[in-house]
Amino acid sequence: MRKALADTLTSLAEKDPSIVFLTGDLGFQMFDEFGKRFSGRYINVGVAEAQMICAAAGMALEGFRPFVYSIAPFATGRPFEHIKISIAYHGLPVTIIGAGGGYAYATNGPTHHGADDIALMSIIPGMTVMAPGSPAELRELLPQIMKLKGPAYIRIGKKGDPEYDADGPAIIGKARLLKSGEKIAIVSTGEMAPIALDAAKKLALAGINPVVYQMHTIKPLDTVFLNEISEKVDTILIVEEASPIGGLWSAVSSFMASCSRHPKIIRTGPPDEMILGNCSREELRQNYGFDTDAIVNICKKLTGLSDIGTISEKEKSLQGQV
Amino acid sequence: MGSIEMTEINELQKIANKIRATCVQMAFDASHGHLKSALSCVEILVALYWRWLKVSPSNPADPHRDRFYMSKGHGVTSLYAVLAEKGIIDRKELAMYAKSGSCLPDHPCKHMLPVLEASSGSLGHCLGIATGALYALRLKGNPARAVVLMSDGECNEGSVWEAAMFARAQKLENLLAIVDYNDMQAVGFSDEIMGHTLLEEKFRSFGWAAKRINGNSISELADCLESFPFEKDKPSVIVAKTKVGVSFMEKNILWHYRTPSGEELMAAIDELGELPIQTG
Repeated sequence: MRKALADTLTSLAEKDPSIVFLTGDLGFQMFDEFGKRFSGRYINVGVAEAQMICAAAGMALEGFRPFVYSIAPFATGRPFEHIKISIAYHGLPVTIIGAGGGYAYATNGPTHHGADDIALMSIIPGMTVMAPGSPAELRELLPQIMKLKGPAYIRIGKKGDPEYDADGPAIIGKARLLKSGEKIAIVSTGEMAPIALDAAKKLALAGINPVVYQMHTIKPLDTVFLNEISEKVDTILIVEEASPIGGLWSAVSSFMASCSRHPKIIRTGPPDEMILGNCSREELRQNYGFDTDAIVNICKKLTGLSDIGTISEKEKSLQGQV
Repeated sequence: MGSIEMTEINELQKIANKIRATCVQMAFDASHGHLKSALSCVEILVALYWRWLKVSPSNPADPHRDRFYMSKGHGVTSLYAVLAEKGIIDRKELAMYAKSGSCLPDHPCKHMLPVLEASSGSLGHCLGIATGALYALRLKGNPARAVVLMSDGECNEGSVWEAAMFARAQKLENLLAIVDYNDMQAVGFSDEIMGHTLLEEKFRSFGWAAKRINGNSISELADCLESFPFEKDKPSVIVAKTKVGVSFMEKNILWHYRTPSGEELMAAIDELGELPIQTG
């Protein structure tokens, strides 16, 4: 997804001289082409995230449209207050890009885990918060960001993210139908979209046909979609690689709580824990029950069928919680 | 030989005392503010607005104006008084300071007062913002300068030093930082908190050109500003050693938060020898 980001930004910057790109000393060789083509508009601020944010704010105050880039925890939690004050208080159109959000850097440990980025950015007034699930989705969203008047956060994947088909275009603020179905709505965000689709394919073999939506925009929340889907399904299964506090599940649950009636809402995703032990992203998803098989099992249980395979005690207990 | 005549120094000192009296009056009227922080930087603001900054009251949004950032937003009453005295804002607004709905809130807000370059109140933001603004202006070929007024306590913030590094790396010669070194923070003395180290040496080690002056001396300020930029390719910093300027508030951290009683207001005005700006 980082290549899609670099290519799209380069082509946008070709047309729009107000685009500047600031990095906190990350993205090795990813943005060389941008830097070569637009001298002075690529700035390596150094490992100085607060400065990256403040400098971007200063540039935006002078009419530029900065994109700032770092790994998700260093783009969000580290300079949080600078984002809130220098950018959001001033209502400036700065786009913060958090690479490898969730657990893309799983084996780098809790310092590099970015499960809290969505929550942190969502709590800032006026911030648009996005987590596309594929390079193509990112390519579609980026030009739309140029039309936003205020700040935006976009969590992107690292590399090797699969593409997937969708019925309609990706539009900021709109849930995107990935696959039609009935009874159960699997609603993914970020890089969980292809996993949700894989699970749906496996479920089809067992005669279960959930509808799959991707909510690449967490804020503003597509409440029109939520109202519509509430009328159509019995259960909404939120699939997210983000903290259970302040992510998509949290946002959907808060909204649904104010509705007179709504379907059952369940979640699968990582817990509110520091994830220790140097496990890979795949192991982590398996251990905490939000990989393809876990999603299949949850949907099977919902329809009264038994598991397709063994699941861990931890996963059982987590599913019990939801 | 200084760059400023004695008659002008005297005239500007009178204005400074009027600004000071106005700050004390505003703190009294609103029962609000960070009085000591406002008072210690009065001569700095007067020297900037009367001697140096290219800003036009009739065209405050001129793209070629110099940018001034009140990074020590808690001391903003002196800036409000200066803007009123310069005719950039209506002096009647001073009476509304810190009241509900006022365009002059406790900490400066660009939404309420668009003539500001930036909102402030949280320390360690504006130096970085100014570096970004200057970088952007340079991309546009705009030669405007930027001044950031910071507090000594603000230099405790790591983000100040992140910005200092960037400013030197990008050779932002049009950047002037002024540190109002009144040696009093919210609950302690700056010298003690910073381990009795010299701020100007810190900035120099970051590649800046630095001068230390008496920040209450109009003449020293005028001379120092005249010599800007201090060195080619380097951002400049003035460490301005200051006093509050009202005898009974000197060296007393209590006045970071305290507001004056009626008696103290009269005593301050009496000592300053100037009446506050009339808002009626």
